[in-house]
Amino acid sequence: MSDTDKAHEAVEVLDYLDRPETGRPGFDRRAFLRRTALTGAAAGSVSTLLAACGSSASSGGNSSSVFGSHPNYKFVFVNHVTTNPFFTPTQYGIADACALLGCSYQWTGSENSDVNQMVNALSTAITAKADGIGVSLIDLHAFNAPVEKALAGGIPVVAYNADAAGNKRLSYSGQDLKLAGEKMGERIVAAVGSGEVGLFIATPGSANLQPRIEGAERAIKNSGKAITIHTVATGAAVPGEESAIEAFYKSHTGAKGLYAVDGGSTESLAKVMQKLGLLAKGVHAGGFDLTEQTQKLLKEGFIEFTIDQQPYLQGFLPTLQLFFYKVSNTQAGLFEANTGLKFVTKETVEPYLTKSRYEGTTTTAAVVK
Amino acid sequence: MASVAQQPASPGPGGPGGSAQARRALPGWRAIGARVITLREGSIIVIALVTAIYFSANTSTFLTGENFETLLPYFAPFAILAAGEVFVMILGEIDLSIAGMYLFAPIIFYKLNTSVGLPLVPSVIVALIVCMAVGAINGIFVAVLGLSSFVVTLGMLFAFEGLSLIISKGTPVATPGGQPPLGTFGKVFGGGTYSELIWAVAIVVILQVALTFTRWGLYTVAIGSNKLGAAEAGVRVNLVMIRNFMLCALTAGLVGIFEAVRSATVQPNPAGPNEILLLAIAAAVVGGTLLTGGSGTVVGALIGALFLGILKDGLILQGVQATYLLFYTGLAVIVAMTANVFVGRVRRGQTGGG
Repeated sequence: MSDTDKAHEAVEVLDYLDRPETGRPGFDRRAFLRRTALTGAAAGSVSTLLAACGSSASSGGNSSSVFGSHPNYKFVFVNHVTTNPFFTPTQYGIADACALLGCSYQWTGSENSDVNQMVNALSTAITAKADGIGVSLIDLHAFNAPVEKALAGGIPVVAYNADAAGNKRLSYSGQDLKLAGEKMGERIVAAVGSGEVGLFIATPGSANLQPRIEGAERAIKNSGKAITIHTVATGAAVPGEESAIEAFYKSHTGAKGLYAVDGGSTESLAKVMQKLGLLAKGVHAGGFDLTEQTQKLLKEGFIEFTIDQQPYLQGFLPTLQLFFYKVSNTQAGLFEANTGLKFVTKETVEPYLTKSRYEGTTTTAAVVK
Repeated sequence: MASVAQQPASPGPGGPGGSAQARRALPGWRAIGARVITLREGSIIVIALVTAIYFSANTSTFLTGENFETLLPYFAPFAILAAGEVFVMILGEIDLSIAGMYLFAPIIFYKLNTSVGLPLVPSVIVALIVCMAVGAINGIFVAVLGLSSFVVTLGMLFAFEGLSLIISKGTPVATPGGQPPLGTFGKVFGGGTYSELIWAVAIVVILQVALTFTRWGLYTVAIGSNKLGAAEAGVRVNLVMIRNFMLCALTAGLVGIFEAVRSATVQPNPAGPNEILLLAIAAAVVGGTLLTGGSGTVVGALIGALFLGILKDGLILQGVQATYLLFYTGLAVIVAMTANVFVGRVRRGQTGGG
């Protein structure tokens, strides 16, 4: 996408606008600054800066494709951790679907799961009359009113990555979180049999993680095996996660299994397993998602499995849905998409180690070999 | 609002003569223009206006009634937070614990209402009293024991974010009184469309009047300019400082409850409040309050918050991607601050010349 060059563009635009003012390349920046600040109280530089910001979506016009001539639909994706590398492939998925279908998109929301900021971004998307909205519903209450407002205004809203029961969103594309948790629970039962098990979660209660831990707990309880579950909140920062996991093991040295339900905790768990050499001590371990570190440590055999939820499809599929919903005038498009319950093990992790756009490890589109 | 903005900024010992020349000049457009531009809030007013005009011209949606409503939560909570912070910053101190109060107050409110069974409004009052008590402790550490406010409030920030996680067990819950359909409580305390705006304007007006016209305000500026001198002149320095820290904690707790009601959820995640803390301080500084103390304006903080809010809303309306938003916000803060410094020099130059 052209968006990737925004920063360069901004710098270039600033330079271009500067040049004609002086008529020569050796331009006196200090004089320029002083002048703008004093005469217009920096009015000039503010608008220059804003002009440099540009817009990815202002270009209207129609796109013609196999689906006929349709407007350049603009879809807004509201996310809870916009700059988290987990969602890099999700953004590639959105970008690729948009390129395929002749649409444009905006990626916005909060950088650190701040629900109020997400609600603000959702309101702005409604005000901006987006053609469709995708949102990760990480909270059970906060998004109900804004989603209903969008739907009432004729803007389709689909959920991706995280879903909230009772929300009026039209569809959900992502992992069936509770089912994934249950399957993990069954694995835990099979591997551990009986004894103490630690379950690690970055942020308990958040709707993108909590269902997994509840699913695992339920599966373990239903098995009727004598397994004692300890749930440990590890926090959102990786260094803190590692020490939380290490501290748990050191105070529960009899633990027979350590499992994590989020990407960060899984990576930290794998590091602790490596550091303390726990697999050799008969401790079982597994988790969710595939950060580069997790892939590496899984390959080296420090954890037994991780569950992939295909973040690329969590961007591609909702974009597809919104597009069809618009282009067919609500007749087609919506479907519930379960993107993931794929157990990746030491044996099957090999393809992931190649850099690919589907894992967000490279921007280049290419056939993965 | 406008009438308040026209008030000369508090006549601190630092620069009381700023408006002398403007007063002497014949009333005319140029004089008024000069007066506005040399107000402490002048440069940020101009920058906020330019930003708003830019987005009005470049998007079809910025200048709509709908976007006015959308814009409110982008700045009203920050204006209230910054208003309280200004009172601490004028002292030459800083309060980082506001993010802790922002997070802690709604959790206490929730517990009081659901576990203790206190009605909604008394729960809010008790939660805010708890916040003020924390503010008082901040003040005592800084004023009486002479510790650095940065360190004390940083410690309090971590402690109360941790306490919030412990008490809430890290789990978000539904805000009492914040679930649709909203009752009177929810509409008044942050849930109503204009609720936060009305609170923000009321709090800013009251605090600006207190800062400019009351003894408390004068003492605050005096302490920030010259603590020893103020003490020797008979100002009860410790009392004023403790009071200001209590005020700051109170506004932070109040905003925390408003935001929890508005989003219908009480969140224990400290990452969001930590970002909000920095934006609130940015709003105060961009609005014309000095980090070094001795000078500040509550109205400026409101306009600073408005500027940052317009910028963020406008950029999202324009379609800017999240990865670029922070970059632009950072540049904008630097541009605004640069303008402040230059205009400040003009102001001081006039003082010297007159």
